[in-house]
Amino acid sequence: MSDLASRLRAIPSWQITLGLALLALGFLIAAQLQSETPRVRYTTQERQPLVQTVLTLQAQQEQLKERILALRDQIGNLEQQGQGSAVLVRDLNARLDAARLAAGLVALQGPGLVLRLEDSQRPVPPGGARSDYLVSARDVRAVVEELWLAGAEAVAVNAERVTGSTAILDIGNSVLVNSAYLAPPYDVAAIGPPDLYDRLSHSQGFIDFVRARAEAFGISIRFAELPDVVVPAYAGTVNLRYARPGASASPGPSTAPSGTAPVSPGTGSPRP
Amino acid sequence: MRQARAQLTIAAVALLLGLLVVVQLRAQSAGTGLDTLSAQELTVLVANLNARNDVLRTEIASLEREATDLALSRARGETSLGQLQQDLARVRAWAGLDPVSGPGIRLTVSGPIAGPGVEEILNELRNAGAEALAVGPVRVVTGSVVAGPPGGLVIDGTALPDPFEVSAIGNPEVLTGALTRTGGLIAQLAATNPDLSLTLIPVDRLELPATGRDLAPAHGRPRL
Repeated sequence: MSDLASRLRAIPSWQITLGLALLALGFLIAAQLQSETPRVRYTTQERQPLVQTVLTLQAQQEQLKERILALRDQIGNLEQQGQGSAVLVRDLNARLDAARLAAGLVALQGPGLVLRLEDSQRPVPPGGARSDYLVSARDVRAVVEELWLAGAEAVAVNAERVTGSTAILDIGNSVLVNSAYLAPPYDVAAIGPPDLYDRLSHSQGFIDFVRARAEAFGISIRFAELPDVVVPAYAGTVNLRYARPGASASPGPSTAPSGTAPVSPGTGSPRP
Repeated sequence: MRQARAQLTIAAVALLLGLLVVVQLRAQSAGTGLDTLSAQELTVLVANLNARNDVLRTEIASLEREATDLALSRARGETSLGQLQQDLARVRAWAGLDPVSGPGIRLTVSGPIAGPGVEEILNELRNAGAEALAVGPVRVVTGSVVAGPPGGLVIDGTALPDPFEVSAIGNPEVLTGALTRTGGLIAQLAATNPDLSLTLIPVDRLELPATGRDLAPAHGRPRL
């Protein structure tokens, strides 16, 4: 030991400094190489203000969503506190709670699965399409649909709750869910019955999806079965401007086509 | 002399190290993924975020009004039955638990199309702001999926005939435009499948049924 110590002491300090610097350099080069993906990275100047705008708008969206969730909580509390003695009010509150739960306006936790989708690490062969090697909105939709078919009762993608009015779209090579911009990797979280994964993995649709994307292009599909998956509340709008509750307002056929005439702007008759 | 060369080497390595640290940090901070978007795509994203934030602000305004009304009626010692009923009707209609009516579009689909193709149509209609959807006689709600091969489509356990209809309540012009625009979904589907016929008409008044599904969670519990 003392032999080693004395040998170390004999090394000039600049050599040690250089050695450490080279070691760090090696790590960084490795990290840099690892972070190279099939994605093109744009670095033009004109993008900078746009990126800033996007980041600002995203931050605003986060605040707006938090505000919506806080207000819904507040309203729920106010409703619960109102004249609890009246049977009618209690009954209405119970029905409202149940409706909110069914609508996805309440965060849920329970047993389930998380599937993680990541871009392929394979090099794109000459003549191959780069986009085939990236996770697309179609991939995310396929996984969400397969989870529903397997019996999932609540699903979220990167913390965006999937509801009956949720669109999942491509933007460039990334994905928009509920108009929120999501960056890879995409974590699709689902709450469901204990055999959710069994049903999913035996579904022909899911098997075909894995073959078409993971085996053919190297898209990474990993999963974890968890005892406690959290699916956040839907933080979007539930306002109806065109649809009215109930189906008994005006008499006449339920499908009165306005023919081939172009629809006038007044046809929408949004509710005030 | 040897000392000077050593210092020079260290300086060079330090410079390279610094450069790489910066590059790496920038790559990491761009973990938002925005660096993979072109200027044009960023513009689309900005428009999308702006529209979405406006919708959220409207929702906040109406929630604030509701909260104020509730607080006021509570202070007056009144029951807020009317508000509760209104709220209940709205949430149930939105979730598909009650029937709804309103203007929109009806798309008649005839010919070979598989489940994912119909799902793409629904996705496009949702993106165009459809407030309620039905496929055939079945209301589309959270968890509804149109699945199966051409000729064997099923939604929520109900088999679909050929032809079948997709109904959407919303702004008829916006919904029509979203599907029929040049290079839009109808054009894409028609280009890849000449045997498929998609006919869209705006409708003044559609009536969509309530879902037959039980949407109450059986395995998840509310997170407090």
